[in-house]
Amino acid sequence: MTAPELPRARWVRHRIEGAGTIVVAAGRAALALWLVYVGTWAGIVRRISRRRAHGGPRGEVGRQLHAIGNRSVVFIVVTLGFIGMVMTYEACLQLARVTGDFSQVGSQLLRLIVSDFGPTLTALMLATRVGAGIAAEIGSMKVTEQIDALRMSGVLPIDYLIVPRFVASLVMTLALSVLGGLVMYAAGGLTAKYSFGVNPSLFFDVSKIRVRHVVLLIVKAVSYGAAIPVIAGFCGLRARGSSEGVGWATTAAVIGGSFAVIVLDFVISAAALLLTGGDL
Amino acid sequence: MTEAARPTTAFIEYKDVTKAFAGKPVLRGMNLAIDRGEVMFIIGTSGVGKSVTIKHLIGLLRIDRGEIWFDGQRVDQLPERALAPLRKRIGMVFQSSTLFDSMTLAENVALPLRKHQRMAWAAALAEAKHRLAQVYMAEHADRYPAELSDGMRKRAAIARTLALDPEVVLFDEPTTGLDPVSARRIDRLIRELAGTLGVTAVVVSHDLPSTFAIADRVAFLYQGVVHLVATPGDLRASPDPIVQQFIGGKSSGPMETPGF
Repeated sequence: MTAPELPRARWVRHRIEGAGTIVVAAGRAALALWLVYVGTWAGIVRRISRRRAHGGPRGEVGRQLHAIGNRSVVFIVVTLGFIGMVMTYEACLQLARVTGDFSQVGSQLLRLIVSDFGPTLTALMLATRVGAGIAAEIGSMKVTEQIDALRMSGVLPIDYLIVPRFVASLVMTLALSVLGGLVMYAAGGLTAKYSFGVNPSLFFDVSKIRVRHVVLLIVKAVSYGAAIPVIAGFCGLRARGSSEGVGWATTAAVIGGSFAVIVLDFVISAAALLLTGGDL
Repeated sequence: MTEAARPTTAFIEYKDVTKAFAGKPVLRGMNLAIDRGEVMFIIGTSGVGKSVTIKHLIGLLRIDRGEIWFDGQRVDQLPERALAPLRKRIGMVFQSSTLFDSMTLAENVALPLRKHQRMAWAAALAEAKHRLAQVYMAEHADRYPAELSDGMRKRAAIARTLALDPEVVLFDEPTTGLDPVSARRIDRLIRELAGTLGVTAVVVSHDLPSTFAIADRVAFLYQGVVHLVATPGDLRASPDPIVQQFIGGKSSGPMETPGF
C-alpha cells in the first residue's frame, strides 16, 4: 500500500529533479567546452602538419593578432595605467598615516604586478573586449547558417574560426600583460613622485623580483590567453535563433571569460604557493 | 496516397525519422523516398520541419530516431569526419546566401574546392572565376558579398555549391526574398541542372508558382509527417481539404498551424 504523496514531498521531489536537470545540463556544457578546447589543440596540430598540403585561411592569424592585440593596446594602457595610479595612491596614503616609510612601495607593487595584477587585470579587460567580439562574430555566423556553410565546404569550424583566434590570443595576452604591467608600474611611480614625493630611484627597484614571479606571469598570461577565445568561441557556436541568441552568446562569453580568469588566477596562485612552500 | 510500400532502392530515403527540439516534436516518423535525377519539392507551412528534413541528410542536424539512406549507405549515424565525402556529393544552397563576409566571391567559391578537392590556391581561384562566369557573375568575382544585391549573392552561393559538381543539390527556399524575375531565373537554373547534368534537386519551398512550374514530384509536409507525395498536377487535383487549403492560400480551413 502506497501513501499518496504529500504536497511537501512533491515540492521536494520537483526541486531535486530541477537541480538534477541543471547539473546534467551543466555537465554536458562543460564536456562540450572541453571538446572545443581539445579540438582547438588538434586543429593547431593539423594546421602545422598539413600547412603545405592545403593551407588554412590565408593571413587569418595575422588579422587576428591585429584585431586582438594592436586594437586593444590603448584600452589596456589606459585602464591599467589608471589602476596603477589608484593602487599606488591608496598604498602611499595608508603608509603615510601609519609609518610614513615609502621605501617598499615600488618593489612590492612590482612584485604584485608581475606575479598577479599585470596578467590578471589585462586578461579581465581582454575577456570583455576580445571575448565579446569573438562571441558576437561567431554567434552571428552561427545564426545566419554560415557555420553550416563552412561545414558543407569541408572546413571544421574550430580549425577555421577558433584556431587563429586562439593562437593570436596566446601571443597577445602575454605581450599585453607585459605592456600593461609596465604601464601600471610607470603610472604608479609617477603618482608616488608627484603626490607623495617618493624618489623614483627608490620606487623603481627591481631587486625583489625573482624568476618564479616571471614564470607565474607567463603561466597566467598563457592560461588566460587560452581560456578567453575558447570560451568565447564555444558561446558563439552555441548561439541559437536570431539576434537575441547572439546577444546571449556575447553576454555569456564576457561572464564566462571573466569568471575563468578569476578562477584560473586563484588556482594558479594557490598551486604556486604550494609548490614554493609559501615563499612567493 | 502516402508512400508506405515503395521498394527500398530509392536514391535518398527517410525511414520513420523523428526529431524534437527542446522537447518539442518537429518530425514525427517521417517517410520519404527521392529518386535519382528528379526535382523533388518539399512544401508545407513555416516551422513544419522542411529545412530540418534536408539538413539531416548531410549531418548538419542529427535525427532522434529513424534511418536516412543515401545511395545504399546509411548516413544518419556518420561522424563529422566521415561526412566529408557525402558533402562533396550533396551540395546545399542555404536560405540566406551564407557567403563568408571576409572573402571575395572568388575566394568564397574557391574554399570548397581547396578543402574538398585539395586544389592549390591559384588553381582553385581560377576554377572559381570560371564557375562564377557560369552564373553571369564573372565581373563581380573580386567584390565582397556585402557590396552585392540579394539576387547576386544567391547566384554566387549557387556557384559555390555547384563548384564541386554535386550529384544532389539541396535548395533551402531558393526564391524567398527575390524579385519574381530573379526567382524564375533560379527556377530555370534548377530545371537545367536536373535536365542537362542529371542532378537530383531537393527544393524546400513555399513558393507555389515555382513548385507547379518545375517540380517532378511534391512532398507536402504536415504535422511532422509527409502528408502526400504527388506530381504537381495530382497535387492540384487532390481532394484532400488540407492540401486544398494550403495551395489555395486560405486562412481558414481544417489545417492546424501551431503558433499562428
